Amino acid sequence: MEAYLGIDTGSISTKGVVIGPDKKIIARSYLWTEGDPSGAVRRVVDDLRSQIDLNEVHVMSIGTTGSARRLVGAMLDAQVVKNEITAHAVGTTFLHPDVRTILEIGGQDSKIICIENGIAVDYAMNTLCAAGTGSFLSSQAHRLGVEVEEFGEIALTSEKPANIAARCTVFAESDLVHKLQVGYEKKDVIAGLCRAVATNYLNNVGKGKKIESPVVFQGGVSKNVGVVHAFEEALGKKVIVDPDGHLMGCFGAALLAADAPKMRDEPFKFDIDDFEFRTREVVCGHCANHCEIVCVYRDQDLIDSWGNRCDRGAIKVK
Amino acid sequence: MRNYQSQPEQGVGEPRVKDPSEERGRITVNEGKPRPLFFTGKRPKRDRHSRHKVSFFHFRNYEPAFKYFTEQVLDADFVPTPTPTRATIKRGEEMSADYVCTPFKHIIGDYAAALDQGADTLVQVTGFCRLNYYGELQEMILRDAGYDNFQMLNFSDVATGKVRDYVAYCKKVVNPNLSIPNGVKNLLGAYRMVEHIDAFRDRYLANAGFEVEHGSFDRVRKEFISAMNAATCNADIEDGFRRAMDALDALPTRKPVDPVRVAIVGEYYTAQDPNSNLDLEQKLLDMGVEVANYMSISNFNLHYNAKAMQASIAEYSSYDMGPTSTFNIAYAKRAAEQGVDGIVHIKSAGCTPEIDVMPVLQRLSRDYHVPVLFLTFDTQTSDAGLDTRLEAFYDMIAMRKVR
Repeated sequence: MEAYLGIDTGSISTKGVVIGPDKKIIARSYLWTEGDPSGAVRRVVDDLRSQIDLNEVHVMSIGTTGSARRLVGAMLDAQVVKNEITAHAVGTTFLHPDVRTILEIGGQDSKIICIENGIAVDYAMNTLCAAGTGSFLSSQAHRLGVEVEEFGEIALTSEKPANIAARCTVFAESDLVHKLQVGYEKKDVIAGLCRAVATNYLNNVGKGKKIESPVVFQGGVSKNVGVVHAFEEALGKKVIVDPDGHLMGCFGAALLAADAPKMRDEPFKFDIDDFEFRTREVVCGHCANHCEIVCVYRDQDLIDSWGNRCDRGAIKVK
Repeated sequence: MRNYQSQPEQGVGEPRVKDPSEERGRITVNEGKPRPLFFTGKRPKRDRHSRHKVSFFHFRNYEPAFKYFTEQVLDADFVPTPTPTRATIKRGEEMSADYVCTPFKHIIGDYAAALDQGADTLVQVTGFCRLNYYGELQEMILRDAGYDNFQMLNFSDVATGKVRDYVAYCKKVVNPNLSIPNGVKNLLGAYRMVEHIDAFRDRYLANAGFEVEHGSFDRVRKEFISAMNAATCNADIEDGFRRAMDALDALPTRKPVDPVRVAIVGEYYTAQDPNSNLDLEQKLLDMGVEVANYMSISNFNLHYNAKAMQASIAEYSSYDMGPTSTFNIAYAKRAAEQGVDGIVHIKSAGCTPEIDVMPVLQRLSRDYHVPVLFLTFDTQTSDAGLDTRLEAFYDMIAMRKVR
């Protein structure tokens, strides 16, 4: 059976799926990146390998996405290296062909994609501020002594969510501390926080965009039912959350890999543990620009390099 | 001029052998001119004038026009600013407040580099926003940083806006012997050069994304800029321009009938200067896009009809909202009407007039069904985030086009 592998390496979590020829997911994996993308990819690949039978499933093409897509692409010798916005749009429109708006909140970024007739027509991504993203929620959960996974359920029990300033992480945090100190209940504060994330998103990333149904919400934060509820209230629309919503990026990458113009000569053997991958940062000294060039080695061989701005510092890959 | 440099036969640490005339004290005599009989005070400036070394800041590829202006109009020496590097930007960042507009940081970094190269006169221009205060602030900051041997030719010091006052100001600061007839003639030459540089840029951006031989367009551009740098008269300018355009047209391209087209509008400095916008134009060209960047000195300063521009966007904006706002809305509208596939709006962090433009562009985007990508630049050096956004934008408009 021919299959395709998609890997999405984000700032917080690393996701991977293997899809079959019918574009159905046959293996999935979701692990924390823990600041080590290459290590996380090894673990995801091992996890996927344990779920499939290599004699039957032949991975003929690999797609990578997420902020570490280049590094991972070089490690896996990927056929497709795509940005996460395109990957998300492709993945979601495949599962929900009639979707009009995709809301996506990940660990460190958030984006909105508007879709007409199955094609992305407009998108926006947060720029300067990480307020209202997954990492903000998890740091606040830590402060409240609550596991971030339980956040949503606790929020739903609240009847009167506290009003928390959503403009900026710093303001939200001081507002939250204040609300706790004056005696608000924890569940009300948590519900207020979920609402703040939704408002912040709609006021920053979603500003000026027409949000039309059907709305699909995905990314790690979509697993938080409190935020989903806050979105439904704010928009007055039903918000669809796919059970595989957190895997949409790597699913999109796998779909793109399935359409790749050139397949691998032989199936991927899931053997990246056999090689040692090493990155080395070189500061180019040819001019005062001091480009930081990143070189990726597999064992002793240079397989890719990037970060260079001119011909003088070019490092040739054999 | 006597040579006071150290002599070749002089050893390290030994005192320099002095000329007898030096022992008597320094007396300069203007040969051929009789000494004044009655006037014994300070001589007028025109007689004790030494040539100034003038430097501009780095701005896109307008350096030849700045050079021509300095040498042919002001009749002074031109000190080219070294190509900005990370070190220059970092220097500028250290010398400026964090929340100042990004161009301020780039420009002050360039000034510091120019002063290190030996410039003694820095030119700053005037505008319609905080740019008016740039010159004065930058002068103060540079003096505080320990540069004291320089002067500013700061055009916002001329409050009246009259040509006569500008000339008087240039005479006072740079060259008291400035010739008016020559200056006017060569100023027109500098205008022509700016127009040519912009015309070349427009042709370049339209076709360079489809070059057959990698780097061929860039080669012609470099040749063109060096020809402009060498120009000393109108004939040189016209000749160099014509040859460069012919060379550009002769280059083989692989341009499809209906290529993906992207229009760029935005804040005056950041939208044009590749060093400020992480070479955004080239990134788009590398993806195989026909690019049109409307912001240029020609479009915004030389051929700008404020009334007509305002009238063309009457349904979107009733008032002018500051320096380039009307211009950007009008050109974005024009581009949308011409059916471009996407519009990129560029601003520097904290540019208030351009923030005001954004809601209008969003309305334009809805009315004309053309996606607009909003980008904000500060002095960041990592372009990973920019690449992600640009790639996604390209994928989006390319997929839309195919269907």
